[in-house]
Amino acid sequence: MSISIPENKKISPFLVFFVVQKMQFGIGILGFQRIIAKNAGHDAWISIILVGIGVHIVLWALFKMLETVNGDMISIHTFVFGKIVSKIFGIFFILYYLLLTVTVIRTYVEIIQVWMFTDLATFWFSLVLLSVVVYIIFGGFRTVTGMAFFGIVLPFYVFALFLFTLPYAEFNNLLPILDHSISDILLGSKNMSLTVLGFESLLIFYPFIKDPKKSKKWAHLAVFSTTMICLYLAILTFAYFPENQLQKNIWPTLTMWKIIMMPFVERFEYIGIANWCLIILPNASIALWCSSRIVKRLFSIKQRTTVPILAIICLIATSFLFTRKQVNLLSDMVGQVGFYLNFIYFPLLLVATLIAKKVKKNEVGS
Amino acid sequence: MKIPFKKKNTEKEALVKVLSKSNDYRHLHFTNEKTKVEFYLTFIASLTDEKIIHKEALPYLLHGELYHLDDVPELIPIAETEISTNAKDIENKLFNGNVLVQVVGNEEQLCFFSAQREVGRNIGIPEVEFSVIGPKEAFVESMKQNLNLVRKKIPVKELIIEELTIGKVSKTKVAIIYLEEITNQENVNTVRQRLQDIDIDGITDSSFIVQIISDNQNSPFPQILDTERPDRVTAGIIEGKVAIIVDGSPHALIGPTTLVELFSSFEDYFLNWIVSSFFRLIRLFAVTFSILVTPIYVATLSYHYELIPRDLLSALVASRRAIPFPPILEALFLELTIELLREAGARLPTKVGQTIGIVGGIVIGTASVEAGLTSNVLLIIIALAALASFTTPVYRMGNTIRLLRFPFLLFAELWGLVGIVLSFCIMLTHLIRLTSLGRPYLEPLYPPRGQDMKDALVRLSFKNQAKRPVFLRSKQPARLNERDAKQKQDIDE
Amino acid sequence: MKLVHKIIILTSIAFLLNGCVKKEILDDINLIEAIGFDYAGEGMTSGTILYPIYQPDQPPENKTLTAKALIKKSILQDIQLQSANPIVTGSMEAVLFAKELASKDGVLELIDAFQRDPGVGSGLYLAVVDGEARELMEGNYGVRGNATFISNLLENNIDNEDLPKTNLQKFLFSYYQEGQTPFMPQLKKISDEKIELNGICFFKHGKVVETINPDQMFFFRLLVDKYSNGLHRVQTKDGEAAIRSIRSTHNFDLSQHSPLEITVKIKVQGIVNEYTGNEVRPDQIKLLEKAFTEEIKEQSTKLVEIFKEKQIDPVGFGHFVKTRTRNYDLSKWLESDLQNLTVKVVPHVMITEAGVIE
Repeated sequence: MSISIPENKKISPFLVFFVVQKMQFGIGILGFQRIIAKNAGHDAWISIILVGIGVHIVLWALFKMLETVNGDMISIHTFVFGKIVSKIFGIFFILYYLLLTVTVIRTYVEIIQVWMFTDLATFWFSLVLLSVVVYIIFGGFRTVTGMAFFGIVLPFYVFALFLFTLPYAEFNNLLPILDHSISDILLGSKNMSLTVLGFESLLIFYPFIKDPKKSKKWAHLAVFSTTMICLYLAILTFAYFPENQLQKNIWPTLTMWKIIMMPFVERFEYIGIANWCLIILPNASIALWCSSRIVKRLFSIKQRTTVPILAIICLIATSFLFTRKQVNLLSDMVGQVGFYLNFIYFPLLLVATLIAKKVKKNEVGS
Repeated sequence: MKIPFKKKNTEKEALVKVLSKSNDYRHLHFTNEKTKVEFYLTFIASLTDEKIIHKEALPYLLHGELYHLDDVPELIPIAETEISTNAKDIENKLFNGNVLVQVVGNEEQLCFFSAQREVGRNIGIPEVEFSVIGPKEAFVESMKQNLNLVRKKIPVKELIIEELTIGKVSKTKVAIIYLEEITNQENVNTVRQRLQDIDIDGITDSSFIVQIISDNQNSPFPQILDTERPDRVTAGIIEGKVAIIVDGSPHALIGPTTLVELFSSFEDYFLNWIVSSFFRLIRLFAVTFSILVTPIYVATLSYHYELIPRDLLSALVASRRAIPFPPILEALFLELTIELLREAGARLPTKVGQTIGIVGGIVIGTASVEAGLTSNVLLIIIALAALASFTTPVYRMGNTIRLLRFPFLLFAELWGLVGIVLSFCIMLTHLIRLTSLGRPYLEPLYPPRGQDMKDALVRLSFKNQAKRPVFLRSKQPARLNERDAKQKQDIDE
Repeated sequence: MKLVHKIIILTSIAFLLNGCVKKEILDDINLIEAIGFDYAGEGMTSGTILYPIYQPDQPPENKTLTAKALIKKSILQDIQLQSANPIVTGSMEAVLFAKELASKDGVLELIDAFQRDPGVGSGLYLAVVDGEARELMEGNYGVRGNATFISNLLENNIDNEDLPKTNLQKFLFSYYQEGQTPFMPQLKKISDEKIELNGICFFKHGKVVETINPDQMFFFRLLVDKYSNGLHRVQTKDGEAAIRSIRSTHNFDLSQHSPLEITVKIKVQGIVNEYTGNEVRPDQIKLLEKAFTEEIKEQSTKLVEIFKEKQIDPVGFGHFVKTRTRNYDLSKWLESDLQNLTVKVVPHVMITEAGVIE
């Protein structure tokens, strides 16, 4: 059942860190603070830690499944449910990753339209973005990983810049701890899911890892670092904004940049938003790559043909989302699907895999 | 066996027929004084040194005991002699400056001796890659001399020099040089294979080969390092790279190479590591500055006035007030002027070139500011950017950087800073996809290899350079005895 | 030519035609550097923008444009009718509100527009003008333009003198924070070339309800800023001394729950800048320290009394109480709970040096 990938197309185990972290860390980071604070208020940082722990558990489950079948998601589904059902699930996943691509690109376009160019044409800008994405994917998974790598390393200086908000931070805002009920905090955790979503792409690129066993610690480290970054941002945000003001800002991270003033740059947010391009491009490419990869696994169609077709589908979908409301609806939907997928479906799938393994073993045994 | 012989003979006749059309073809008849053996000397006069024939060969052939063709190599005091029966060699050997000896009555057996005329300049000092410290030799056009320069520096038996002939018409000799125990055989095979696959009529310089054997010929980035410094070539070979020397070209090629190597000057290794690391960082900054500064100017002035610090605002607005063009035209105008100056300077003799530079720089610059065509802020920016682009130590890379600015400018005009970042992403993807002889071009930045960072953006001390670069996949990774680097003495001991 | 190439070429052309976005070329726009709002009677507001005309080798020329409007947000559009170039808000440095407007109509509606505008930075200075904002903006101050003068004036007073940290973010922060009310510095035009910082205005529901004078600013800053500095004159029986506080810190402590009592510990580290008495001896320094301590205690308590009386809380006592008490209800804070709050000020003054003269 294992899929053979040429050795020189595989990636070193530690690069898994960048792919997993990149998938989680993208557009959500610009506005997650408001969403998680909706229910949990200034206690939402606890929600982040809870989600972090949850993601570690799910990641463990994913690795367990992958090790059992030594393949990818399609192999798992075939192993558990048989060929036909696995195809249906596969199609669902294709759609899921396409939606993810659309969400990432459309949200970024939305941000540019609000903050920089009100008259930016969605279609043309997405066309260029998606062309770059296709160009990246044509370079193979190694190039996708490479962009993920640079997408994390190069914009990392941004996190140091958040310290500019410290003179305005009122850490008392975080007190008293646990002022909200447990259910509120759990709701906050659920809202957090769009932000940390995406690590499940491991299910697809697992066969591309050179030494999968070694990659485990890197994947967990990636998840851990995402949690830490979110925590860092959330705490700074809660200290910077009173709760009522936070609820008024759709992209609190961007609003926080407005206070940054350097001797050679008067306002940072414009540089930051432009920079985010480097962050969302690998994000979209991983998602689209996953989508085309599943198509290849299911129907054996060349990725060279599917990637442009899928990109065009994404382009059309992106151009048909006109209003903020539609964009929000889409990202909410993806967030919901991602939440149920990651935290409900995959654990169940693990159980099913283990049972299937036992049954098959018994069959062989008898 | 007879039929092929006959065929060969006809081939030979055809050859002679064509050759005799040329004026410098000589086919001379002699008779040995002692043995009365008659023989012919055949050679191309323009390629051979007549002094050698007259002083080193003819006296012995005429007065020595020549009975048989086999005696020729013993008679004449020339090392490079060869006896052959293969008529196919004739053309090849003659055009390499050999003299063909044939004894009458036994025309099938051929004897060649080398009487090549050495025409060429003497070894000079490097002009493109000049360095203040370090060796001052540079390659010349003659491959023999170039190989001599390399061989002298690596006097071991493991240094392999393989020779190929490329070009149906030019018959250019190309040498592949590597160290057997160190260089990864895969790299050598790739180079050899690609060179053998070249099917072209003529090659006049190593840059032809660079373009033909590059992994991606549609990339503006040079994927093989070319250098005129023998020290750089030998260092590359010792490191585990493959060098290519082309006859008639004063530039040797080294591969596989990486982007960071193209930004490192060989002088970096002559200076203390702290100093050279500083210079490398300066160069890196200069290149980034040179590519990005004009696009950023255009982007900020056209779209992001919010970014401009308020103290700078008045200077910028005041300098641009009278200018009728949008920033993009202003920038393009100046950029193109600078490119013109560079092209004009490069095409003219050195002294006139300098004058052009001064006239262009000062007169055109000042005049265009006074005429209100460009702002003086932009003039400063563009001049600085041009200056910065000259800091790249590899000439080819400098050209690439000159070119790169324009797509960035276009995107900056379209979408401001977002456009700049987008074009940066495209460039980055291109660089990630690029390979040099099958090895990743961006290494050690991507794939990230901490070990190779010792000689990338900075150059650490030789103590830290104990291993060969990972991406070369050398057979012998160690290059320095690490033990003596470790021991440390206490204070006052 | 292949079909693919044709498609690519056509797309690129279409792209170049449609992909562009609107430009704001630096020298073809009017950069608003400051904007001022005045009360124009009967719900009308008049707005004045200040934009510079930069000239080489000369200080920028200050230009103003004024328009009146009923709907406050449409003022900019109305001013646009008088302007040859598009008006942009991205490099705005200060917003001024006439005191009359700020006390009668309030400033919230106007500030909301700036909060919403992505082009406006959070470091924008807000100030109340004692008099008419338009009149103040029409003066000629400094060599770098009026707006830069105003913002430098405020910045300097925050960095080195008695003015507590203030800007758009600070204002919004204290406005949105439950159990806190905002404040703004107050400026006054003295002559055509001079502006003075002459106090701090306190807001309640977006309207000015109280103003304190510059002498009280020092003590207010001690209460409201975690770290502060400034200069204050202290009178003793031997003479008067100007004490510069280098680094002062405050510390809040909820010392008692019912009735609520907050202890504010203030630490002042200062140096003697000038002294009118004979010489500064250690015992004199002791005296100065004691006098200063007394004054801080007295003045701060007086300020708290003012706050209670006007039902405002610029220091954020309410927020502090909430952070120390689980599930605290702040809805009745200003009306009842603040009135019952006791604030104990415990200053500690340390004078470390007295200049280079022994």
